[in-house]
Amino acid sequence: MQRGEQDLVEGAVALAKAPLGRLVSIFEDARPGAAAKRKRVHAALSAHPRRREASFIGVTGAPGSGKSSLVGELALRLAAADTDLAVAVLAVDPSSHRSGGALLGDRTRVRLPAGERRLFFRSQSSGLELGGLGRASFQVCRALRHLFDVVFVETVGIGQSEIEIRVLGDATLVVMPPLAGDHVQFMKAGLMEIPDVLAVHKSDQGEPAEVTYRTLKATLDLSHAGDGTPAPAVVKTSVETGAGLAELCAELRSRAERRRGSFADKEAYFFEGWIRGEFGRYGLRRLPAIGGTAAEFLAASGGFDDAQAAFARALLGDDAPGWSP
Amino acid sequence: MASRVPKPSTQTPHALVSEGGEPERDRPWIFRTYGGHSSAQASNRLFRDNLARGQTGLSIAFDLPTQCGYSSDHPLARPEVGKVGVPVNSLDDLHVLFEDIPLEKMNTSMTINGTSMWLLALYVALARERGEDPAKLRGTTQNDIIKEYLARGTYIFPPDASMRIIAEMYEYCLEHIPKWNASNVCSYHLQEAGATPAQEVAFALSTAIGVLDLIRERGQFSGDSFATCVGRVSFFVNAGIRFIEEMCKMRAFGELWDEIARERYGVDDPELRRFRYGVQVNSLGLTEAQPENNAWRILLEALGVTLSRDARCRALQLPAWNEALSLPRPWDQQWSLRLQQILAHETDLLEYPDLFAGSPVVASKTEAIKAEARAEIERIDDMGGVRAAVASGYMKSALVRSMAERAARIGRGEQTVVGVNAFAEGLPSPLVGGDDGGLFSVDEAAVREGLEGLEATRRRRDPERARAALDRLRRAAERDENMMEASIECALARVTTGEWADALRGVFGEYRAMTGIEGQSLGLRGRRADEVTRRVETLSRRLGRRPRVVVGKPGLDGHSNGAEMIAVAARDTGFDVIYSGIRLTPEEIVHTAVEEGADLIGISVLSGSHLELAEDVMARLEEAQAGDDIPVVFGGIIPEADIASLTRRGVRRVFTPKDYELVQVMDAIAEVLEEREARAT
Ligand code: B12
Ligand SMILES: Nc1nc2c(ncn2[C@@H]2O[C@H](COP(=O)(O)OP(=O)(O)OP(=O)(O)O)[C@@H](O)[C@H]2O)c(=O)[nH]1
Ligand SMILES: [Mg+2]
Repeated sequence: MQRGEQDLVEGAVALAKAPLGRLVSIFEDARPGAAAKRKRVHAALSAHPRRREASFIGVTGAPGSGKSSLVGELALRLAAADTDLAVAVLAVDPSSHRSGGALLGDRTRVRLPAGERRLFFRSQSSGLELGGLGRASFQVCRALRHLFDVVFVETVGIGQSEIEIRVLGDATLVVMPPLAGDHVQFMKAGLMEIPDVLAVHKSDQGEPAEVTYRTLKATLDLSHAGDGTPAPAVVKTSVETGAGLAELCAELRSRAERRRGSFADKEAYFFEGWIRGEFGRYGLRRLPAIGGTAAEFLAASGGFDDAQAAFARALLGDDAPGWSP
Repeated sequence: MASRVPKPSTQTPHALVSEGGEPERDRPWIFRTYGGHSSAQASNRLFRDNLARGQTGLSIAFDLPTQCGYSSDHPLARPEVGKVGVPVNSLDDLHVLFEDIPLEKMNTSMTINGTSMWLLALYVALARERGEDPAKLRGTTQNDIIKEYLARGTYIFPPDASMRIIAEMYEYCLEHIPKWNASNVCSYHLQEAGATPAQEVAFALSTAIGVLDLIRERGQFSGDSFATCVGRVSFFVNAGIRFIEEMCKMRAFGELWDEIARERYGVDDPELRRFRYGVQVNSLGLTEAQPENNAWRILLEALGVTLSRDARCRALQLPAWNEALSLPRPWDQQWSLRLQQILAHETDLLEYPDLFAGSPVVASKTEAIKAEARAEIERIDDMGGVRAAVASGYMKSALVRSMAERAARIGRGEQTVVGVNAFAEGLPSPLVGGDDGGLFSVDEAAVREGLEGLEATRRRRDPERARAALDRLRRAAERDENMMEASIECALARVTTGEWADALRGVFGEYRAMTGIEGQSLGLRGRRADEVTRRVETLSRRLGRRPRVVVGKPGLDGHSNGAEMIAVAARDTGFDVIYSGIRLTPEEIVHTAVEEGADLIGISVLSGSHLELAEDVMARLEEAQAGDDIPVVFGGIIPEADIASLTRRGVRRVFTPKDYELVQVMDAIAEVLEEREARAT
């Protein structure tokens, strides 16, 4: 490992902003050559004596429901309540399909004190990915995992294919604006399968939030009757009044502890996702022949970065041009 | 009063006659010049000179710290003190500012919003200490907070608290200073932020409705006294270069206001339903290129609000030919004032009844604007009124959209701007040839004097009285009592501007307005745009991800148009963009860029403090060890002579209004990033 990389890792572990910012950029870098660097940095991070182990909280909900505002508040509260705790936010905004560019607006809603090392905010564009996360979101989570205690991941919130965030998050928060929908819509949307916690947000707006709250409760009682999984918690929240925020913090943390997934499972899921993105269904069909299940292949290749290169090589031959990690 | 207004003659309909049938001219509108700079002393001299030259009212520009509620020695204030207006730190400054100017004889207009109550309190306290009768004070505190959130940016508190302040000022003024306009609903700034005529009318009238509905709800006035309150609402309107349409807009404004006052508020007295308005003509369309052309634009715009007697303004202030270069110098202001004097005194304009009454063209155009505006007013009403439509971001988005459309039209050459996208070749302007380049500069020595004055005030005052006054203010704020008297006591106790605002920040909190840029597009098209998009695409491949740009507005500067257009254009050409709105500190901007791993910082400054802010930004980047990684570019009102200083500080490119072609600006930014890549490899 090069000297500069070592400094970067040390700085990042100490939560200094500049090295952190740069380190995260390495995990966003789509050039094939970046994989080797990423592997070194990742190895150093995961072996670092002062590394942390993050729990991930996925946050989704319709555009404008209040995800960013809420996450900002939660991050501030968590960091204030526990002076050892380090919290990161990774927020994904949609890219323009025309130009590919994006306005990363989530940050605008969140004001974390510039001098506080334990709070970190990073924006990402979704690129042309579906499913609410960006191409590099999982990659960046691989790094944040070792650096923070809690990582919030805010999706684009378009409401489709939210399953990704369910896998990534140890707990998933769905933010509902007042008058989010009626009973049938809640049932139809399949949304009820995603959340560990539902926030009926903007409760300061009074009656409309009450209606949503009651409707949701009724729907949940119905859809969760009988099957063994714990029903999602429903909390009325507002960043205007602070209502429900303490309860929401507590629910999210305890549910994240309870459901905590192994990171290896997440890797396997996103590795498959990467294959699908890079090589389509053809790639996925070839996976069993090349290396068994995603989990087996990852284990055999010695980690995510190597697995990507190995898979590309197996599929495309030695030069393996034209793929990106 | 009303009986002295001449009437159209019945015998000769083209003439105006007095009560007694004698031929008579109308009295001219009030001539105003917007001014103030450096320090209270310097501004006092300026005011007295202007009054001596025949100006008939005062229109005070305050510096940004005073407008945003900071004393001159606050770190946020330092780069901006005295730059764009006069700093007022305490009652002592007001004594100096109005020395030898009789308050009772003045009609004083104050462009003040976030701290409007404080400035009115200071003015009343000044009258009390000088032994003049506060009840006789005449003038206006601008005090329209809605347009601050939407366009102007000098808000402090959240909407509810700010609206309460406005309502309390109406309640106080109606009782104690009956000739004072507690607020002046503004559409001027909306047009400067892109509003179409119908948007201007609708948003301003919705704002007036918001204020009056609140006052009615608070229940201090009823019946006649509420009607009087409706009658006190005055307006501050823009007049753009499409001057026929603008004249029709004024008629639309008047007719709709009459309708609202009658139907919504049940005001019977037509006098109280009159649309009383002052004007500043459009400045957004005044250009940096061939600046002498602006003189003609200003003239034509002035016609729009004076030609038609039925829709004539009550007060007029004009910008100057060098609007896009710097603040006006005294001579520039004089030149604009002369325009008004010639129009009113040399021409026959004031001898006629309305020239357009009965014109089917004007009537139809007016109706069209009214219909569009009425629909918009209803839409805002349906959303829950102006406060809700601000909070949801609707109104801001609508303005940014209009601004983007305007920028796109100019960029494509569909809207002609002479000297800019048409007839751009021309001889060099001798107006910028003088020693000062046609630019105004702030008197630094005077600024220092002002700072010393602030220290002296703090030293001399009775600290106990100041503390007690602030406590009283806080209590009034918490208990929902009218804060005017408590503010006047603060003024008398030599509380400072920063202390007054801080006390209320503690109670109400602070606010951050929407940027309005989400979901916007400039629809940049054509070969050049495609080329730039491809260039960014290539860069993305070289960088391994999309280049990421942080657009930042440091300091107290509220000019957001440029930053908004740049942010939208950057997204349109394939950059990932972070723009968090106005009034950030250099520290916050650099922190954002570092944390986000930005490839470039683009800073926009129009308030004249670019040198100080560049210094600060570059130092902080160094400190964060990102000086080499993250190139910085600047844009805004930046005099030619300062470009070299910026470059010396490490700024890579500097853009000014001449760079109106956004595609080209984006191309230049891509180039800066390519240069960085070349250096790195
Ligand atoms: C519109 C305007 C306003 C609007 C602003 C609306 C808004 N939301 O933006 C309103 C009416 C609210 C306003 C208010 C004031 N204004 Co004003 N305003 C203007 C005006 C007429 C046009 C500016 C503009 O929007 N142009 C259109 C945009 C698209 O152009 P632009 O910002 O220049 O940006 C272009 C380039 O400069 C460059 N660029 C700019 N930023 C960036 C950033 C990057 C990264 C890049 C790459 C490029 C770039 O690219 C852009 C595209 O071409 C100028 C004079 C003029 N004609 O330029 C005065 C002007 C800027 N205002 C001025 C003043 C003094 C004020 C006030 C402070 C007055 C007062 N004392 O209260 C107030 C307060 C505002 C505040 N809170 O700071 C002065 C500044 C004087 C100085 N620098 O010495 C000017 C120059 C007028 C004058 N001659 O007196 N104003
Ligand atoms: N009244 C009220 N408004 C809120 C609350 N939380 C957020 N908002 C407002 O809701 C709007 C959207 O908030 P965001 O936090 O940007 O919502 P989001 O879900 O992250 O939005 P996207 O990322 O754009 O999908 C903003 O105008 C917020 O000010 C709340 O508790 N009460
Ligand atoms: Mg968001």
